[in-house]
Amino acid sequence: MKKIEAIIQPFKLEEVKEALKGIGVDGMTVSEVRGHGRQKGHKEVYRGQEYQVDLLPKVKIEMVLPDSRVEEVVKTVIGAARTGKIGDGKIFVYTVEEAVRIRNEDRGESAL
Amino acid sequence: MNGVTEDEVREVFFNTGDARPVLAARTAEVDRLIGEAFEQRLAPEFPAGVALVAVGGYGRRELFPHSDVDLLLLVEADPATQQQREALAAFLRSLWDRGLRLGHSVHTPRECCSVDDRNIELSISLLDQRLVAGDRGIHASLETELPRFFHSRRQDLINHLTRLTQVRHARYANTIYHLEPNVKECPGGLRDFQLVRWLSQLSGAQSYRMPVAEPMPELEAAWRFLAALRCYLHYRAGRDSNLFSFDLQEEILSQPFATQRDAASWMREYYLSAKAVNRAALRWMEMTEPAGRALLNQFRDWRSRISTSDFTVSRERVLFKSPNMLAHEPELALRAFAFIARHGLRLAADSERRIAEQLPGLSRYFAENPRLWPKLEEILTLPHASLALRQMHETGVLGAWFAEWAAAECLVVRDFYHRYTVDEHTLQAIEAIEDLRRTNDPLRRRFTGLLEEVESLAVLNVTLLFHDLGKAVRSGRHVEESLRIARGALARLDAPEEKARAVLFLIERHLDLSAIMNTRDLDDPATARLLAERTGTEERLKDLTLITYADIDAVHPQAMTPWRLEQLWRLFLVAHNELTRELDSDRIEAPPSNASAEMMAFLTGFPSRYLRVHSEAEIARHMELWRSAEQSGMAIDIQRRNGTYLLTVVATDRPFLLASLAGVLAAFGMNILKAEAFGNRRGMVLDNFVFADPKRTLELNPSEIDRLRLTLERVMAGRADVRRLVEQRRRPAAVPAPLRLKPSVSFNSEATAGSTLIEVVAEDRPGLLYDLARTISEAGCNIELVLLNTEAHKALDVFYVTCNGAKLSASQQAGLKERLLAACRR
Repeated sequence: MKKIEAIIQPFKLEEVKEALKGIGVDGMTVSEVRGHGRQKGHKEVYRGQEYQVDLLPKVKIEMVLPDSRVEEVVKTVIGAARTGKIGDGKIFVYTVEEAVRIRNEDRGESAL
Repeated sequence: MNGVTEDEVREVFFNTGDARPVLAARTAEVDRLIGEAFEQRLAPEFPAGVALVAVGGYGRRELFPHSDVDLLLLVEADPATQQQREALAAFLRSLWDRGLRLGHSVHTPRECCSVDDRNIELSISLLDQRLVAGDRGIHASLETELPRFFHSRRQDLINHLTRLTQVRHARYANTIYHLEPNVKECPGGLRDFQLVRWLSQLSGAQSYRMPVAEPMPELEAAWRFLAALRCYLHYRAGRDSNLFSFDLQEEILSQPFATQRDAASWMREYYLSAKAVNRAALRWMEMTEPAGRALLNQFRDWRSRISTSDFTVSRERVLFKSPNMLAHEPELALRAFAFIARHGLRLAADSERRIAEQLPGLSRYFAENPRLWPKLEEILTLPHASLALRQMHETGVLGAWFAEWAAAECLVVRDFYHRYTVDEHTLQAIEAIEDLRRTNDPLRRRFTGLLEEVESLAVLNVTLLFHDLGKAVRSGRHVEESLRIARGALARLDAPEEKARAVLFLIERHLDLSAIMNTRDLDDPATARLLAERTGTEERLKDLTLITYADIDAVHPQAMTPWRLEQLWRLFLVAHNELTRELDSDRIEAPPSNASAEMMAFLTGFPSRYLRVHSEAEIARHMELWRSAEQSGMAIDIQRRNGTYLLTVVATDRPFLLASLAGVLAAFGMNILKAEAFGNRRGMVLDNFVFADPKRTLELNPSEIDRLRLTLERVMAGRADVRRLVEQRRRPAAVPAPLRLKPSVSFNSEATAGSTLIEVVAEDRPGLLYDLARTISEAGCNIELVLLNTEAHKALDVFYVTCNGAKLSASQQAGLKERLLAACRR
């Protein structure tokens, strides 16, 4: 099993969710996060006053999947989240040792 | 269970919805179990010197199906022998084995009546004590001591209860209007009901000894409803669960005892019960409040000085001086709410009661005198408007004034995010705007800055008041319904057209920014253009940003995350920058398709904004002035509008024109609130000034209007020296330096294609615009476009400036900045 963590632009969330739904992936955890990578922050000016925007709003999507689906899902996220500009985000893939469904204690892939 | 099984009790409950037999049966059953366990496990080791005393809900004989059982083991002395301790352990174990969730404590009568802060919970639980089994003598000694003890510690216990209640209420956002309420803990829940009983006992209104607690007569119906609901929740969950969830709100409808046909009606009944209990709890806390410290008393005495001929203030509460006047003069109630909105004080319980008694008269008054916009505007512009609205809501006045509001009272509209009813969400949204003035959070302070710049707080608050009322119609298109409702109410109130238009615009667009924030790339220029198109002007953008802020913040306490604050602020800046750019760059090149050749000539070259902020009637008036200016070189019009004046000048462009006009107004003692100036392709300039006449010179001397017009003509024609006129006028006393806003002047040559933007923020004063405009003109610069706004004491002036047709160089900017700052400080 693998955990996929995708940091994407907030406005791409609906598109990514729809694309994942299209390939049969419904379960995910979505959180609002703030941060920056190479995009860095920038300064905004209002009424002559500078506002440092250090941490840009992003959305984090987390999913745990069977190994066999990882490539397909990664490609789908890339396809839906890409604009080609700096700030599109990143995808991380981790190995997951175990999954347990709390309700009935199913384990492994059957708990996904 | 006295021959009745648990299943039978349950069945009776589900048929009747009456909780009392359930509570009585379970209490009797627990009494029996404890009595048996006492005889078997304790009596052999403790033939005397131990009494089992029921406390808390068990003591009151109010054991719900899965409530904990609180038991006090009253002993003469701590169990001394190992055998006694083992007997005690065996007794408790046997009760746990019988399925009782037992909370126990062991105390001597002396400990029960000792003054110790660690004992305070025990002291409160003793208000409901009764003997279950054991030594009657030791219990009698406790009963003898308790009244004296309660009397001596009365205020400590009241204070403690009040503190606990305030913390609990705050945990539930101080509102009864939760969509999924906890029927025990929420404000207005059973714990509040119990608080009323305790406070009434402690204050001496009821006996300390209440072995069988009876619901207080005025709250009996509410108690029965809440108790039945809690019983139902315990039975359904099979444990001590008190959350009335969406699922259970649906499920309860199918029960035999259900009296309502839909969940919304159930919830309305719940809110009515909770409201009665909550108000009683708040009233009792107010009545039993300690006299307090000397300093607090001094403060309260000081507050009492704000009393007027209508109202008096006592202990931070507003009382009517002549309450009987309410029957003859319903307007007195509206004055009371304006008083609350001004001073942030709540109505006293007696005042609330008297207003509630006069509701029929107030309803008649509202029906017979609908044109009450000035009253509503006054209340909604004052610093504590949200408190006034909440009090109007609680006393039923808001519902009597607006039937549309009454339809949304206690209205449950379920969605994944909202936690409160529509009325509560609305009031919290208005509070969110007010709270911006007090926040220290740097992310929120950005929006505080916007709030200081909005034109009309009343427009914001009226928008929020009506923005979701359409949900009561349940057509699935709440924005359209809210618009329809607001349109009707504003017409009834006879709101000025400009303000009504603003409110309707904001209601129609109130979801736009949220949607754009989540679905559009804020770095995409197309998003910036879309935002500029949706909002139209900077003023509307600020209003809409604040409405969006409040609407999100009032969804639930955690809804406005730093993430959303950052997104909303970015969105505001994107839209603001685009509007700033377009104001100078986007000129009218192709006037509306139905425009005549004359209109095309007039409009071409004006900023696009012109068509967005002026109605057709205003444009027609401007054109009329233009026609006469084409012949004579200038045309002047002065009109009185809603307490202010509007000066419109159309003239051939010339140096120092803006400074001359502003100077004449300053020389006449007029206070400029708002101004705009721009030119068309034919070299004609349109200047609009909204100004106040603080000394009522024009109102009291109508001939002064003619003199003002004449002076304007003479100055524009070069026949009078504006500088001398201004100098002749004595300057009013300046605001003391420490209170004065620190002026700021900023330049931006990137914002637009053709000119340099100068933004000046300064303490407003008569003649400020004259000084600024003259300084810019004296520097050899041409003012292409001006927008000026004054809110309270803060002037915000925006100039689009060129020098010899080009943007200002860095050195020109540096020099001008110093001179403008000096002009601000004059």
